[in-house]
Amino acid sequence: MKNQMELIFPSLAENEAFARMVISAFLVGVNPTLSVVSEIRTAVSEAVTNAVVHAYAGTTGRIILRARLTEEHVEIEIEDFGRGIENVEQAMQPFFTTQPDQERTGMGFALMQSFMDEVSVESSPGNGTAVKMIKRLEDAHA
Amino acid sequence: MLSAKRKGERLIVYLSGEIDHCAADKLRQEIEARIAETKTGELCFDFSSVSFMDSSGVGMIIGRYKTMQALGGRVTACGLHPPVDRLFHLAGLHRIIDIAPSGRHEEA
Repeated sequence: MKNQMELIFPSLAENEAFARMVISAFLVGVNPTLSVVSEIRTAVSEAVTNAVVHAYAGTTGRIILRARLTEEHVEIEIEDFGRGIENVEQAMQPFFTTQPDQERTGMGFALMQSFMDEVSVESSPGNGTAVKMIKRLEDAHA
Repeated sequence: MLSAKRKGERLIVYLSGEIDHCAADKLRQEIEARIAETKTGELCFDFSSVSFMDSSGVGMIIGRYKTMQALGGRVTACGLHPPVDRLFHLAGLHRIIDIAPSGRHEEA
């Protein structure tokens, strides 16, 4: 293992930008391309936004951002302890959203899947959600 | 985060910084107010100073497209950096919004 980190923060909207800054800073040592950093930042932003707007919708709870760096890849996990997802498969369908009136596009999981090499979601109603993502770094160096 | 100017029929909105869920809520309100105030027929987003955008930004753009569509107007965009341009394509925004090279709105 090369490096790892864990960050706990409350589900405030301003912490979406904070989580992006932290993951960018964590990756500085492996010198990834701008495009890879941009993809990882977007995926993290989507997962943290989901926790803020869906998991805790209107309430404040804890979000944990974990990242682990190996020689080959970076593993990222975003965990919340909010309401959970009843039907994960449906939630991951592109353009599925429970909040169309809030101008949510339902693209969050689709973007995570486009930008990362692996995405898995563990969730059940009342038990929170954990989104695990892996991005390979072998061709990512600048 | 936002500045705007009127150029003929066009309302040019200069976006800047990071357009995420946190920023999108405020932008939505401000841009809606400018549209109502100017009664513009063309809303042009200038993305030249946007450093980051995610699906919340896409939702905000689609929302303004719907507003302009209801008013019989249209939405254009320029100054898209590669990550924003890629997001536009993934979201299908290029099919509903005319994308011009940076600075095009300055010419007319």
